[in-house]
Amino acid sequence: MMPNRRQVLAVGGGGVVALIGPAFVLAGPVEEIRMQGTSRGEHVWFAPVGLAVAAGTTLRFVNLDPGNSHTATCYHPTLFDRPQRIPAGATPWDSDFLLPGDSFEVLLTLPGVYDFYCLPHEHAGMVGRIVVGTPGDAGWQGAATEAGDLSAVALDGFPSVEAILKAGRVMPPGQP
Amino acid sequence: MFLNLSAATFGIALMLAAPGLAQAEDVPEAAPPPAPYAKVSDLVALPDFLPGLGTLFVDPATLPAGPFLGYDRDGKLAATIFMTPIEDLQGGTSYNDLAVGSNDVSSVDIYYNAGHPGVEKPHAHVVLFHGADAKARLAE
Repeated sequence: MMPNRRQVLAVGGGGVVALIGPAFVLAGPVEEIRMQGTSRGEHVWFAPVGLAVAAGTTLRFVNLDPGNSHTATCYHPTLFDRPQRIPAGATPWDSDFLLPGDSFEVLLTLPGVYDFYCLPHEHAGMVGRIVVGTPGDAGWQGAATEAGDLSAVALDGFPSVEAILKAGRVMPPGQP
Repeated sequence: MFLNLSAATFGIALMLAAPGLAQAEDVPEAAPPPAPYAKVSDLVALPDFLPGLGTLFVDPATLPAGPFLGYDRDGKLAATIFMTPIEDLQGGTSYNDLAVGSNDVSSVDIYYNAGHPGVEKPHAHVVLFHGADAKARLAE
């Protein structure tokens, strides 16, 4: 299945969303986050669910679930009036619905913790966390401390920043 | 609670599958069924063909329960599917006298689904297969 690249979005400081060419984006590191589910849709997840990357890394979200559509949507007040769980100054992103085989890319440049979710499956715990850089980096912004309107199942889905930094990548429970 | 809900859903399925209790709709065996049925993938962001369910058509006025009509890749009716939100069942909602696409029901599968565009709440899929080979025809 050949993914269709939906959009390339640069997320950095200055509050400006910029659509930029793939060649530029792909010049830096690229990490893939898969959107997956069981064949009958009982369980859905991001894999990895937690990932540590360097600033300037492009994330590629790919829907590998043949029977469902998913989104990769960051928590931000401008997107569905959700609490902010990405660094201040980072531009929010929403992939919109990705059909099987579709993909979406976003470039993360500000150090800190980025939490995101799947719009139709947040209630099922389909959330993820990206850690860009390390707490010692200039401008680092750590994980959100307030629950806001997030459900317990969503909050339980975020690996700790410490676990992500220690392992590099954290897979969802039951996934190799 | 989950066992109780499963039993209730299973009961619904048995009633639908029992001869004489279900009434077939006037739907063609070949896709597409006439309006008000519409292709689900034209209504929401889902693939045209869903493995296990087929190409789905539904009358939007009947959401979330359906019936959804599932056609195989050759356009032949293979299943009638109902989607019943767990939360609604817990709240006392019942889904009665639902129509089926065909009275020829060879088997019924019931399973949990975490949600998808169109029926976002966690729900049960109640799948009535029309013909012994229907499940295989919908598999991929």
